[in-house]
Amino acid sequence: MSLKVGLDFGTSNSGVAVYDGRQVRLLPIDRKNVLPEVVRTVLYITRDYHCSIGQEAIELYYRHNVNRQRHYVKQWAGEIDYSGADLHYVRDVYVYVDELKPGRLMQYLKTALRKSAPGGYEGTQIFERFYSTSELVQVYLGLLKRRAEQLLGEPIRAVTLGRPVQFSSLPEQDRRAEQNLRQAALAAGFEKVDFELEPVAAALDYEQSILGPQNVVIYDFGGGTLDIAVMRLGDPNGRKVYASGGVDIAGSDFDRAIIEKRMLPHFGLGQVHHQPGILELIQSVPDWMALPDLATPQNRSMLDKAIHAGLAPVRLKALQALIYNDMAFTFYNRVESAKIALSSQGAALISLEDRDIPLWELYTRSQFELDIQDFQARVEKVLLDTLAASGLEPGSVDAVVKTGGSSNIPLFTSMLKRLFGAEKVKESNPFSSVVAGLAIRAGM
Amino acid sequence: MASSQKIDEWIKEAEGRPESALLILRLIASRLNDLTERNEELLSENIALQDGSQVEQYRKRIATLEYQLELLKRRFGPDGVLTAETLPGTAGPQLLSMLVYHARGMIIRLQAGLQELSSPAALGQIKGELFPAGESPRLLAVAPEEELLLLFSSGRVSTCRVEQIPAMETGGTWTWEQASLPDEPHGGELLAALLPLTTLPLSDFFVQVSRRGCIKKTMTSLAETVLSNHHLGRGALQKADQPCEAILCRKKDRLALVTYEGRLLGLDVDDLTYSTEERIRLEPHDHVVAAFTVAPDQSLLCLTDNGKVIHRDGAVLEPAKSVHTRGQALIPPARLEQGTRFIGAAALRETDGVLVLEAGGRLTLHACRDLIGSGRLPESGPVLAFCVVPAIFEESRP
Repeated sequence: MSLKVGLDFGTSNSGVAVYDGRQVRLLPIDRKNVLPEVVRTVLYITRDYHCSIGQEAIELYYRHNVNRQRHYVKQWAGEIDYSGADLHYVRDVYVYVDELKPGRLMQYLKTALRKSAPGGYEGTQIFERFYSTSELVQVYLGLLKRRAEQLLGEPIRAVTLGRPVQFSSLPEQDRRAEQNLRQAALAAGFEKVDFELEPVAAALDYEQSILGPQNVVIYDFGGGTLDIAVMRLGDPNGRKVYASGGVDIAGSDFDRAIIEKRMLPHFGLGQVHHQPGILELIQSVPDWMALPDLATPQNRSMLDKAIHAGLAPVRLKALQALIYNDMAFTFYNRVESAKIALSSQGAALISLEDRDIPLWELYTRSQFELDIQDFQARVEKVLLDTLAASGLEPGSVDAVVKTGGSSNIPLFTSMLKRLFGAEKVKESNPFSSVVAGLAIRAGM
Repeated sequence: MASSQKIDEWIKEAEGRPESALLILRLIASRLNDLTERNEELLSENIALQDGSQVEQYRKRIATLEYQLELLKRRFGPDGVLTAETLPGTAGPQLLSMLVYHARGMIIRLQAGLQELSSPAALGQIKGELFPAGESPRLLAVAPEEELLLLFSSGRVSTCRVEQIPAMETGGTWTWEQASLPDEPHGGELLAALLPLTTLPLSDFFVQVSRRGCIKKTMTSLAETVLSNHHLGRGALQKADQPCEAILCRKKDRLALVTYEGRLLGLDVDDLTYSTEERIRLEPHDHVVAAFTVAPDQSLLCLTDNGKVIHRDGAVLEPAKSVHTRGQALIPPARLEQGTRFIGAAALRETDGVLVLEAGGRLTLHACRDLIGSGRLPESGPVLAFCVVPAIFEESRP
């Protein structure tokens, strides 16, 4: 019999599990991670096209990049046609390329999949080769498959992949994203690929623990999207999905909000006013993947001049160190860690040990809740809309099962308790309930 | 950054969730502690700037940089233009200083114009005791403008300009009484090696090699400290061991070690450790006789004590992967049994010259291509030492 697994390809974390008909086995897919059954959805591709994922990718990225040397060379990138009233001319375009760049680290592959419409994000150039979004996902899934096969000791033929309720609110984009994910999985070596909605998968996992029929709201709040499913579970007549819904709000949006509202002043926002070039650099800080590409000699010279002129020297020196010492990924992780810590404590520290970045921000839960209150309003609306579409009243819901890392944020837990009652809000493993449900679905 | 607005927000958190208050207090106290320490450091720096001690440090640093600049100027000329012709080892100086030195620190300096030198040439003779400290004398050929680092067996170092050593004409006879003593070894010390210093600003590491095959590298960025403290370190693990060679290397250089009993070991400088480490397994009676870097266009020349030349292509030098290896054997076992031993080895090009000190005290110069062609030193008895004179027999010269 061919082996089939459940694979949760998440925005921030992924996982693989198998179901033998009685119990689910979560594979320790990333032994270097604190939680070995969870692998970070990051991909690192080196100049010689060696690819790695998870903690290994992060370690390699740090080893290769932090405080490394750079050497920029001017490269011809293409031509631009200029057309005026009676004038037409072609101009060459050059870009500065760091020829010592050892590799590229990529995160949010799933978000890229969502945006991979024509005219949208189609892929990226990595050294000499262009990778489409689908190819990047293929590389990631291929490595994940290989690791799983090593752990299981036999080849994996088929997979049940999780997918959000909505990759996109536009049906065409949604269809294309699923199609690209399917193509990537097939190209990664899976012979048979099917999909299950992520909240439905989480429901299958929860169903293992209930004794009688229940009306359940699955609230899957992860790194990239919020997915909601209102379902009838444990019914001898079969499961029923009353309604499903979702919105592309999740953990990465909260990280971005923290950076935009609290961190940018540390890098000069509010002190630099009439320097569009520098302001553009400051505004790029929330996008850590773009920061390494800004480490050009021109930008360094621009920052040096401003520092020399006494324009917010400490803040701009910090900005320079963030960009040129490749501290962006570390910085972003610190912000994310502080956000996670605020789920269990009232205050957390966001700081960096770099000599030139005097970043120290005491960040409290009430500040965080203030920063994300707009998101909370939107999430509540989507939740109530989905519930209304199911035809159920909050009172007739027996349980609200929350899963995904962002579901632990106290602001959202309070919202669920307020809407449904504290006793109905059930915890599930935020990182493994979806993959466990996918494995059950694969084993059916 | 703790603006009043932020402080209000912290207070709000503490009021709303009293359990957060203790954590906030701890974090602020820890920050205050860090800032106090930092403040003290800054105050100390401020005091140092005000009382001039910091200025003194900066002056020392400037002096070191100026010194390095001076070395570069001497090497590349006052206009400082760095061209392929002026790169180290590729340019022949107009005057050549040939140094004969021994373990007690005595140095004889002979000077000759490059145009006067031919191959083979007898340059003169040293009379009297040739083994004053039980060690063979050693040779070094450098430009008169060179600066030398004297490395002693205790790990002590000092510097000396070649021009400070009185020069003697070639063609005569000399005794050690005529030699100069730029820095007398301290009690129990021996002069281990002389190291030309002008390439220091272009090098990444000092590499020291001991007689028993221990190697240590030191970053040249520490040169200021090394020179001001007069200490580079012994670079040897055993008490009975002592340094025998010091070389300036770049990161990507390949190092060769050649031993008395004919073992050859290649090592990548980048892979060497900063701590002293034994890198070659030697027989109890064997020891390192030469250590040098090998450029891709150079070949290896080893000289036996009876004047036979062993020449190998530079490609034979494979970098050793194992920490403890015995190296490649260059002397066949039968010859080894007959008592053939190496007295030295070097990396060279065909246009280089070889300066040889024979056991009778005769100093001779030979073109490298002649030696490689004949396979031995002409009309030579036992040999004590040799060194390479770079690029003195270019095609354009007679």
